[in-house]
Amino acid sequence: MNLVEKILARASGRAKVSPGEVVVANVDTLLLHDLSGYLTSKVFEEEVGLPMRYPERVVMVFDHHFSPPTEERARILEANRAFARRHGAHLFDCGSGNIHHVGVRNGFVRPGTVVVGSDSHTPVHGTLGCFATGLGNNSHAGMVMPFGKAWFRVPETIRIELSGRLRPGTTPRDVALYLTGEIGEGGAVYKALAFTGELIDGLEVWDRWLFPLITIDVGAKCAFVEPDEKTVAFVRSMTGEPFEAVGSDSADECEAIWEHDVSELEPQVAASPTLGNVGPVSAFAGRAIQWAELGGHGGGRIEDLRMAADVLRGRHLAAGVKFNVVPSSREVFTEACREGLVEDLHLAGCTWFPPSTGSNQAINMGALADTEAMVSTHARNFPGRNGSAKAMMYLGSAATVAASALRGQISDPREFLS
Amino acid sequence: MQARGRCWVFGDNIPTDQIVRSDRALVSLGEMAAHVLENLNPDFPGGVRPGDILVAGRHFGQSSGRAIAPKALQATGIGAIVVEYAARLFYRNCFEIGLPLLECPGITDGVEEGDVLAVDMTAGTVVDETIGRRFSARPVDPFLMEMLEAGGVIPMAARLAGEGEA
Repeated sequence: MNLVEKILARASGRAKVSPGEVVVANVDTLLLHDLSGYLTSKVFEEEVGLPMRYPERVVMVFDHHFSPPTEERARILEANRAFARRHGAHLFDCGSGNIHHVGVRNGFVRPGTVVVGSDSHTPVHGTLGCFATGLGNNSHAGMVMPFGKAWFRVPETIRIELSGRLRPGTTPRDVALYLTGEIGEGGAVYKALAFTGELIDGLEVWDRWLFPLITIDVGAKCAFVEPDEKTVAFVRSMTGEPFEAVGSDSADECEAIWEHDVSELEPQVAASPTLGNVGPVSAFAGRAIQWAELGGHGGGRIEDLRMAADVLRGRHLAAGVKFNVVPSSREVFTEACREGLVEDLHLAGCTWFPPSTGSNQAINMGALADTEAMVSTHARNFPGRNGSAKAMMYLGSAATVAASALRGQISDPREFLS
Repeated sequence: MQARGRCWVFGDNIPTDQIVRSDRALVSLGEMAAHVLENLNPDFPGGVRPGDILVAGRHFGQSSGRAIAPKALQATGIGAIVVEYAARLFYRNCFEIGLPLLECPGITDGVEEGDVLAVDMTAGTVVDETIGRRFSARPVDPFLMEMLEAGGVIPMAARLAGEGEA
């Protein structure tokens, strides 16, 4: 069996499972954010009406609101707090950071476990060797909260083998954007994706993170990276909780192998309307932007802040450009303070925001008028996601975001590398 | 399990954000239904009638896993959704809330908006009665048919969890 099959077999008390089977498995962690948590809590209390069986496995993170912008939103957050208190679930309030970063940094994500959530980027936790996937409100409210279980169809697995060394200025996010275009939206519906190869082996955990992050956008169910000594050391640095990592019996435990050599790859940009609309930065260069952001589910990592600071240090944003910097967690902001990045980016003209998911869906910041465009490290660029459906959203690496902010137009970061 | 009605046809890669805008995520289902899919067809929310069939292209319902997208469609009273193929979470959510959905390759090539469709979930067929053409759908897993007949995941949850009849 491969990693996903082994985890699902263990969690459902079976000796063996195969693709296509439906199993009912124990869930180790349920991650909810402030929006999905509210919707789920209503279904749980109004339609299910049973006690929460394992509140210690339920984690709610307020990441779409670092501060409620309206009275209505303040009421929703209060309702969420009361729900968490009533049932004894974990709550990370405004200012804690992005749901997935907070989950990892507080030890709720451990190799070999089953992690579910209503955020569609929940498969990102496969980075740590979990079976992790997004489910809907009714699964969470109807099965996970009252019984600690969920139903799953065991997916077929596709191995994505990445070889080659990245050229200067091309980053792991560029590879992930490129793969989204290559696989295509819906190009891997219902599959499990195993990210492997010398490129993945050589990356640190927070850079590997960018690959399972694309799972949902190619239609897949989950993704994973085989845990190695880096994974184990990383998780050990986050939690003292025990875990038992599992790995695939052999690399052949898959339906297909898709190979990509990244050595010639240029920096990539994905432009609205969808993530599949991706190409080399040169294809979009010169298009005007007024907003830049490091944030969202994809960004605000310390690696992003460093990369942007390397481009922006000692320079200043183009006239008319606004640049939001949103750390993905309080720990990232601490590191940014210690490394002097807060001052570097501030002096370059950037504005710091509290740890959160930033302007994702413009819940508490980042709405765009129909004449505006944003370049960001976000995970999504669908029309209307941040304000006007006519506004353009460009996605790129932190280096591309920073370079574009210096010019006020989509720009190739390699022109600014020392 | 069957549905029959006029169809509305939508395109490919429609995200849940376009079904229900995220700034309406916290309003009542009735209000969501009053605006459902309006960005793509302003006539849809006002014109859709109970029993109508929604037809769409590839990877329908991509992006978020919020069940409010299928719930808002269900609140319009539509009888079934027929797509080239659905995004995984949208597919799961439809069965979990008891909304019939079939994946029917080729459907958007043959069907015109306003045609009358007869959808048979059990047989896995869609018949366009207006043009007299029959389409075969991908089979639905028996487990999901059972869930649909139970009215969704909540009514069968206790039994699934091994804790007796719900």
